[in-house]
Amino acid sequence: MTIFGFVRKNMFRKKLRAILMLAATFIAFLIFGVLMAFFNAFNSGTENAAADRMVVVNKINFTQTMPFAYFNRVKAIEGVELAGHANWFGGYYQDPKNQIPVFAVSPEEYLDLYPEWIIEDEVRDAFLSDRTALLIGADLALRLGIEVGTQIPMFSNIYSHKDGGNSWSFNVVGLIEGRDKDTPTANVIFHYDYFNETITFGQDNIGWMVVRTASPDLNDVVAERIDTQFANSQAETKTSSEKAFNKAFIAQLGNITLIVGLVVGAAFLTILMIVGNTMVMSIRERTKEIGVLKTLGFSSPRILRMVLAESLLLSFVGGLLGMGVATLIVAVMSVLLQGFIPGMAVGADVFLQALGIMFILGLITGLPPALTAMRLPIVKALSRG
Amino acid sequence: MTDNALIQIRSVTKAYSKAKERIGIFEDLNLDIKKGDFVAVMGPSGSGKTTLLNLVGGVDQPDAGEVVIGGKHIEKLSEGQLAKWRSGHVGFIFQFYNLMPMLSAAQNVELPLLLTKLSRKERAERVATALSVVNLSDRAKHSPKEMSGGQMQRVAIARAIVSDPDLLLCDEPTGDLDRETADEILTMLQLLNKELGKTIIMVTHDPAAAAYAKRVLHLDKGLFVEKERAA
Amino acid sequence: MKSMMLQIIAVLTINIKSLPQRFWMSTSTIGAVALVVAVLLGFLAMANGFQKTISGTGSQDTAIVLREGSQAELNSVISRPDQRIIEEAPGVARQNGAPVASGELYVVVDGVKKASQTEANLPLRGVGPMGLNVREGFKITKGRMFASGSNEVVAGAALLREFSGFELGRTVRFGTSEWKVVGVFEANGSIFESELWADLPVVQSLFNRGSAVQVMRLGLSGQNTLEDMKSYLLEDQNLDLDIYTEQDYFAEQASQTTNFIQYLGWPLGVAMALGALAGALNTMYSSVASRASEIATLRAIGFSGFSAFVGTLAEALVLSAMGAVLGVLIAWAFFDGISTSTLGASFTQVVFTFELSLDVIVQALILALAIGLIGGILPAVRAARQNVAAAFQTAE
Repeated sequence: MTIFGFVRKNMFRKKLRAILMLAATFIAFLIFGVLMAFFNAFNSGTENAAADRMVVVNKINFTQTMPFAYFNRVKAIEGVELAGHANWFGGYYQDPKNQIPVFAVSPEEYLDLYPEWIIEDEVRDAFLSDRTALLIGADLALRLGIEVGTQIPMFSNIYSHKDGGNSWSFNVVGLIEGRDKDTPTANVIFHYDYFNETITFGQDNIGWMVVRTASPDLNDVVAERIDTQFANSQAETKTSSEKAFNKAFIAQLGNITLIVGLVVGAAFLTILMIVGNTMVMSIRERTKEIGVLKTLGFSSPRILRMVLAESLLLSFVGGLLGMGVATLIVAVMSVLLQGFIPGMAVGADVFLQALGIMFILGLITGLPPALTAMRLPIVKALSRG
Repeated sequence: MTDNALIQIRSVTKAYSKAKERIGIFEDLNLDIKKGDFVAVMGPSGSGKTTLLNLVGGVDQPDAGEVVIGGKHIEKLSEGQLAKWRSGHVGFIFQFYNLMPMLSAAQNVELPLLLTKLSRKERAERVATALSVVNLSDRAKHSPKEMSGGQMQRVAIARAIVSDPDLLLCDEPTGDLDRETADEILTMLQLLNKELGKTIIMVTHDPAAAAYAKRVLHLDKGLFVEKERAA
Repeated sequence: MKSMMLQIIAVLTINIKSLPQRFWMSTSTIGAVALVVAVLLGFLAMANGFQKTISGTGSQDTAIVLREGSQAELNSVISRPDQRIIEEAPGVARQNGAPVASGELYVVVDGVKKASQTEANLPLRGVGPMGLNVREGFKITKGRMFASGSNEVVAGAALLREFSGFELGRTVRFGTSEWKVVGVFEANGSIFESELWADLPVVQSLFNRGSAVQVMRLGLSGQNTLEDMKSYLLEDQNLDLDIYTEQDYFAEQASQTTNFIQYLGWPLGVAMALGALAGALNTMYSSVASRASEIATLRAIGFSGFSAFVGTLAEALVLSAMGAVLGVLIAWAFFDGISTSTLGASFTQVVFTFELSLDVIVQALILALAIGLIGGILPAVRAARQNVAAAFQTAE
């Protein structure tokens, strides 16, 4: 046996109690791991926004369109390295409730603007050369059961086809893969021309433009140039960085940070109370034993360290188990939610945070009883119990 | 006053305060105990027997006076120094054994050695030796729950001697045992005293137990009355 | 039977009176249950409030007509000729000879959310004079209604609570035109209170919609006339429309978000409940252990094992009930009535308040009592089986 072995045996002196404490700690960290994975996935749009990409929308609101003519004017603005445009199609596949992000875009520019989308060369060529071609995110295709090389109908809940009805026929030429695990790729893109030529109203309008600047430092300057161009026109514009745009969108859902913070806080507060109390009680039971250890020559600081080691051990074992199972659950969920929420994973930074919390929790639950044990006079301890 | 005494207690005063009242235990106490002695301390309850043991074991400090053991002034040592001194020089044996309930016999005996720099192998050897001295080698892996009172006390003795201290302090070691088992334990203590040269101070209220010692001290109202005994 | 009751009462009294001895352990269990209840109630109140706002909107006497498949007002479009046909369909109520039909436009403008100081999507609804006739409980509470043909808007009371920029008297800019906020309205706490209203033709012209509208609201002339209307418009006239009663439409809209919130809230609540359960079991086992000799003594006297069982179980239930009450109080103090907003169907903000209703509270209480029950049963069994000989042993 070693002193660590002795600490371990002390932790399990009442097996059921130790298991219950581990269970409580386990659950708190399980909640933490899963919630943080969700939280980071939500924010992945902001995290993955390229620094040199900006979004130009109608100043009234991003659901309002702008004249197509604006596109050529934006392309010509100083500092704009590359520009593309897109329209929200309001697409759904088979069931109106099955809404998916479908965009009618300027094909070549869009592929260049999003280098984090990995598209094979033959696929790229096929897409560019066929007006009815369509590219779809790999995970999304899997979820919807859409296969490459097939013709599929896609419906719009906004637009009508000039031939009647509201469905368009597309040629699925390939998939979009993400460069990183959490790159958002749950999109469907097709040619703007095909769209513009077949809609019954709203022709020659674009929804928004995506612009790459020569360097991120130029963002503010270029944004101002663009917005000034169209000030006082029929459709004034508002240009912001992609990151800011995504962030504002998420903020509309509600204060997710606050909610996650409150729930995680409640979970940890719970185990703090439960485990903290149990540690105090457990040490109190051992008053006499602590006295005996001191007579054997265990110094008071050593006793302090042993009690802390016990609470830290409890915290880390329960916490690591919880994070481990959280990782499993998140892995399963990311498969189920394929195409809905990208990048569901328990990242390294979440793990590090968790380790830090385990340490602090172990310290807080262990310190009061450890101090008591350390300061216990031997004579008093031996006469108890 | 012999200067080669292992334990020299000089002018020790000790009192407890209870509800703002000062209850004096010892006032100017003096005592010498030679190396290899086996002393039984008897007296009515409240006479300070256990306090004396605590003072000698460095578990408690006198209000005034000196406690010199092996030439060392232990009344001057800090708490940390006392802990260190105890681990090498003193073994304790209690009335209710005070074993760790979740450890096996061998692990209980190993506890004091965890404070040393001995290797795992060396520790195991010492533990085995100690257990064989008390005749419990076959119960090394048993837990205290599975043992009788006498067996538990023997484990406690093994624990007390495993780091080879000069001094053994026993507080009513047979108080919880039946006659036969008590005799076994006391015989073992005599053995440790005669064969291994351990100095033993034993607090007891049982005259039959005191009979095993070399001399008997009676403590009453903080004073000693000694009854010498032929060895 | 009477003897059993007396035994149980005696044991219960002893148990509960001795709770203060196990103060900190019991308190931490109460706290844990309280937190579980509070968190669950937070989510349920959110879902409940959202649900109530949206489904409280809409009456059975009004029909909504959208273009087929649009799913939301924002996406739909109904041309002028189609509007004419729809107005004349059977089932449409009439007032002074004219059909109670309101063609409306639904566009999105930007506002600033007060709480986060970030931008938010707000609905601007263009309504005609009939718009008021198909809305229950609409009333102007400050200022006046907009004048037709003018660049004036009225703002919903809920919208003003959550978003800045549309206070009475303010001039706002949409695109290149300026508008003045001339009034504030309320509409029975429904979703319409999260909107801005303006004159239909003015909105149509600003947003280049010509004479098209996005949605038509029709007063129904009687119950069950919806089917007649549907068969006329969909079969006889062969138009591509979706037709619902307003109530059904909003119920559908609400369910998506409320389901999401509940799918989030319940698993979290249950997970936390498991954590609290671990705490409760721990408390109860240690309670039984610390009173082992007491219980054994009672049994030695002749009390039945069953009374020990009931006593322990009751202790667990009392603790969890106290935790539940505390949790409800916390939720009520922190959440009830809090106003907030989130994205609704058309990417626009819906303002709603957290609502702690009775059925929501009952659900949380059930969870709390489940914790008490499960956390109490096993230790109660142990208490019932307590070895009587333990009464005669010294501690440990």
